[in-house]
Amino acid sequence: MKKERRKFKLSPLGIYAVLAYSFLYLPLAVVIVFSFSPTKSIVGFSGFTTRWYIKLFNDEALIAALIHSLQVSLTAVSIAVVVGTSGAFFLVRANFPGKQLFRSLSQLPLILPGIILGIALLILFMNLGFELSMFSILMGHVCFTTPVIMFQVASRLQRLPRSFEYAAKDLGATPVKTFWYVTLPMIRTAIIGGALLAFTMSFDEIIITYFLTGTWTTLPVFIYGMMRFGLSPQVFAISTVVLTFAMVLIVLMAKFTAVREEL
Amino acid sequence: MKELPNNKRGKKRVLFDKPRSYIMGIPVIFWLLTIIITPVILMLIMSFRQKVGYDISNILTLSNYLEILKKPSYVKILLRSFRIALIASTLAIFASYPLAYYISRKIRKGRHLLFMLIIAPLWISYLVRIIAWRAILGNKGLINSTLMALGLIKEPLSFLLYNQFAVAITLTYIAIPFVFIPLYTALEKIPVNLIDAARDLGANEFHTFINVILPLCIPGLLTGFMLAFIISLGDYIIPMQLGGTGGMMLGNIIWSQFGFAFNWPLGAALGFVLFSIAAVILAITQKFGSREGMLYE
Repeated sequence: MKKERRKFKLSPLGIYAVLAYSFLYLPLAVVIVFSFSPTKSIVGFSGFTTRWYIKLFNDEALIAALIHSLQVSLTAVSIAVVVGTSGAFFLVRANFPGKQLFRSLSQLPLILPGIILGIALLILFMNLGFELSMFSILMGHVCFTTPVIMFQVASRLQRLPRSFEYAAKDLGATPVKTFWYVTLPMIRTAIIGGALLAFTMSFDEIIITYFLTGTWTTLPVFIYGMMRFGLSPQVFAISTVVLTFAMVLIVLMAKFTAVREEL
Repeated sequence: MKELPNNKRGKKRVLFDKPRSYIMGIPVIFWLLTIIITPVILMLIMSFRQKVGYDISNILTLSNYLEILKKPSYVKILLRSFRIALIASTLAIFASYPLAYYISRKIRKGRHLLFMLIIAPLWISYLVRIIAWRAILGNKGLINSTLMALGLIKEPLSFLLYNQFAVAITLTYIAIPFVFIPLYTALEKIPVNLIDAARDLGANEFHTFINVILPLCIPGLLTGFMLAFIISLGDYIIPMQLGGTGGMMLGNIIWSQFGFAFNWPLGAALGFVLFSIAAVILAITQKFGSREGMLYE
């Protein structure tokens, strides 16, 4: 009996699963294949070229947009790490009335359609008389990266027994020392994992960013501009670069957190 | 997880802590007030103001909301957005459920990897996924060029792109991971004993599924459906890129008020309509849906 079962036999559900994974990944494969095609068409694929990639490197505006994106994402994530981690301690450790409301409100940037935060922040900056610049984009990104880190760290904190901290205190450690030598090492991977996830999300954010962009653009907004003139092979090439980068970040993130549990 | 007693002797819960423990909350409260609550309130105020020539008056009226109700084209687009979002989230449920069932119940090794492979697209460039669908459905895209190379068609099929069908399929694609997570969590939590018990009592696989497994998934199904619905309802980039004029959605008319139409108060009112719909749906989900399945719970 057992041996028969071990034979690789696909059930209808198994076949369905294969089709479903193809549905999820084939579109991405199409982008990658197109990026190496010398002509615009995928059929009658006549050879292989890296010409479009070389063109990318010579596109100064594109490189500038890439650098802008890295600047925004790195700054936003750095702010979010501080705000999110302290926020996680507040959420898990402090008692206050309206905690459930606080939790729900903090989740809003993650579950509301991005367009709402986009226009709300645009109206805020107009009221303050600010020009749209790197700062407005940065604020848009701090908006949704903070809860990503906050909830990742909070779910880790919730599962940590406090006995270690009590032990440290009993042995005479100050609260700062307890945090630095006891608590922080236990939540470090959650912070790193959350930061990587937040960075990935920030790096390709366009829904909110599009409303907050003036002349200073990020990479996704720049790619979006390229798409106005149809899908050129360069669009596929830069998409492939972005795709690869995101994949690497996600693998790293998965290494740092057991994502299943943290979600 | 069990709630730890809040003070060491396990007395009743204290409502307030020592002031020192609130210091941790200062940055996050500041964040919440300045870039979430204040902007939404300002948006609400803006929605009651009115565009007068090139200026925005300070008198608060309901005129923007009345205009939305009066204009048949807005009502039509709103209804269309509901329809497309409904189709996309239903399709996402039907596509994800068998998959979640298969991975959580039938697979033993490599389950974690398979799970990750489904939710990874959630974080892989949203824009790249839109580009991919344009590359598949477009005039010179994968489907058309394959069919033409095979000699099946002479002219590219134009019904693939720039319509509601293209928007719905791309939104489904985007929504699948959102739906999958709560479904999978719900399925995984069902204890094996329960299923064994059903079998012992003579239920076959089909009956076990209908009478035991499916009812236990309902909160997860609800959460997944609602998340997919909200996300689809508010999207504007996908209809812009793949919808053409016939596939315009609520997000597009909001966008145009802040762009060339330059009617911010009307745009804010439309935005607030979307916000209210999302808030109601989220409240329902919090009440009846599954907490654990929520994406960032």
